[in-house]
Amino acid sequence: MSFAPRPAVQPWARVNKSRRMQVILASVIPAVIAISAIFLGLDRSVTLVAIFLPLQVLAASYVGFTAFGKRGVGDAVLIVFISFFAAFVLVLLSSVLFSLVTQGAKALSWTFVSQNNIYVSNTTSLDYGGVGHAIVGTVLIVGLTTIVTVPLGIAMAIYLTQSQSKIKNLIRTLTQAISGLPSVVAGLFIFSMTITFSWQKSGVMGSMALLPLMLPTVARVAEEALRLVPVDLRYAALALGAPNYRAFFQVILPAAKSGLITAILLGVARIIGETAPILLTVPINNGTSWNIFSGNIMTLPAYIYGYLSSLFSTSQNRAWGGALVLMILVAILFTTTRILTRPKSIKSKPTKQKARK
Amino acid sequence: MSDSSATKPAPVRRKLSAGPLSTGDKWFFRTTSIAANFAFVLVAFILIFLFIQAAPALSSQGLPFIFGTTWDNTADPIVMQIGPMIWGSLLIGAVGVLFATPLAISLSYLIVFMLPKRLSSVATNLVDLLAALPSVIIGLWGLFVFSPVASEWASVINSYLGWFPLFHVDTADNGFSGSPFIAGWIVAIMIVPIITSITREVFSQLDRDLINGALALGGSRLSTLRRVILPTSSGAIIGGVLLGLGRALGETVAIFYVLQLTFDINWGQILEPKGGAVASMILAKFGEATPAEVSGLMASGLILFVLTLGINFIASVIVNRAQPWRKNQ
Repeated sequence: MSFAPRPAVQPWARVNKSRRMQVILASVIPAVIAISAIFLGLDRSVTLVAIFLPLQVLAASYVGFTAFGKRGVGDAVLIVFISFFAAFVLVLLSSVLFSLVTQGAKALSWTFVSQNNIYVSNTTSLDYGGVGHAIVGTVLIVGLTTIVTVPLGIAMAIYLTQSQSKIKNLIRTLTQAISGLPSVVAGLFIFSMTITFSWQKSGVMGSMALLPLMLPTVARVAEEALRLVPVDLRYAALALGAPNYRAFFQVILPAAKSGLITAILLGVARIIGETAPILLTVPINNGTSWNIFSGNIMTLPAYIYGYLSSLFSTSQNRAWGGALVLMILVAILFTTTRILTRPKSIKSKPTKQKARK
Repeated sequence: MSDSSATKPAPVRRKLSAGPLSTGDKWFFRTTSIAANFAFVLVAFILIFLFIQAAPALSSQGLPFIFGTTWDNTADPIVMQIGPMIWGSLLIGAVGVLFATPLAISLSYLIVFMLPKRLSSVATNLVDLLAALPSVIIGLWGLFVFSPVASEWASVINSYLGWFPLFHVDTADNGFSGSPFIAGWIVAIMIVPIITSITREVFSQLDRDLINGALALGGSRLSTLRRVILPTSSGAIIGGVLLGLGRALGETVAIFYVLQLTFDINWGQILEPKGGAVASMILAKFGEATPAEVSGLMASGLILFVLTLGINFIASVIVNRAQPWRKNQ
């Protein structure tokens, strides 16, 4: 048996200049053809799917074939399709954000943020009226839910990380299953309670309806955060004679602080835009109300919902403006969590972080 | 010294037990276990209270409530049947999952295997941002921005592939907005982040030696994805897809705006502007519902809850089983 002669193609050799040119041409030519096809009057989506994509696949496969032979074709096809799909999702996301900002900016002003909706009709100019009352209501209702849910969720997370009980996995699975609870069912649940006990609809009912939606998020993220604290820290505290609760409050809690704050913020971001439970349990109001225990109170999602189906253009502008305000609140929460969860290697297990990437 | 020790009684032998010793610990663990068991209480409460209010409708309508196709609140006795809504929910969920799965797998592959580290964390953040968009905002965007574009896609698909039953449309003059196709896209946008987050985690935990081995044996990226990566992570992907399906079935407000709700059952012509969704139907009918209808809506909610809880529970079991590295503590 003799060794095969050394192949002429060396896969490990660096890509040379002419090949780089090929790659550039292969990415540019299909785009040029597609754009000229659009200018010639072909439908945009048809061009994209029926002309651009096949051409791009062909061109990339050709370059891949000349570079790496048969396996280059597989590489090229996969890369083209994956980039196409990813770009598609990116386009959708940017379209949502772009239309929110451009449409919402028409309504957004200091008046819009500070005033309420009294004496505002569908044709009232955008100079009057706004979402001030809805911001107040949303903050109060979501705040109450947060105050109740956060201790509950964190206690749940402690149980899931520290106890040795056998039903732990069942509880974890059930919590994950509840996280997919349809929001309208959460609303119906509380609405059913109000009928059964003949309670009045109010802001508190809205807070209660949001609780089952927020709890799984808080519990899950808090569990992840507690899990990142090295278990040796806890054992050291216990070995020094600390009871479990002091080990938690004085050792684990400070170490997991930023993760737990992230859990809270993600939970708030999850429920702040929930519409269906609010619509089913909170009576709407055009004026500002600070009382969530009785009477009508307005929320941002209900405001958007109310103006969305109207045919008047100012009403639609109001809906977009409310949505932009809501999105700004979500974005603030989101950015804060990103800043808090920026990787800090001291606090987490080095092996775990490596594996988790 | 010695006589004082003689008067002292012998110290009580310390009890050895697995439970917490101090009172503070007992309360600590009692509180946390009550909180944890609140998950069971919550599910039980939702079932009980929905059932209390749903019982009149369920007993008066019987089994046709699920399979029938009429909702008539003027009839005496009132007729409430939500067959088209349940089928519509499943259809939209299936369409949404069909669109979302390739997108989510592509995003995960891109994030884990293709992008440099910095860009991949940017991409992860963008996907998380997509997950953070409230559904009312997706609904607003879907109604004013996405529906016109997607109905143009639908008309193109219909004009070329209209002979195929799935893309056939009976009444083309109504336009193409309000179809399960568009609702499916809206749902897909909302469940892409869910599937992506699970798929991405599994991909990043895959054994790199396995992938490098496949590449060294002469496989291309495509064959490695098909023969190595997808088979080894299929469990978690299926779990993620089921979680997405559960979310899709329960999606309320976003679908409410983009779907034409009819009680005329749409078996699978996804471009036809008629469809159903249990959750959106509840929202649509809730405003001016009579007490008898409210009971029917509660029953619909009960069915939706049982359906989604079942799917989500199975999905969570599959996902937990497919992520053994999460159990190491």
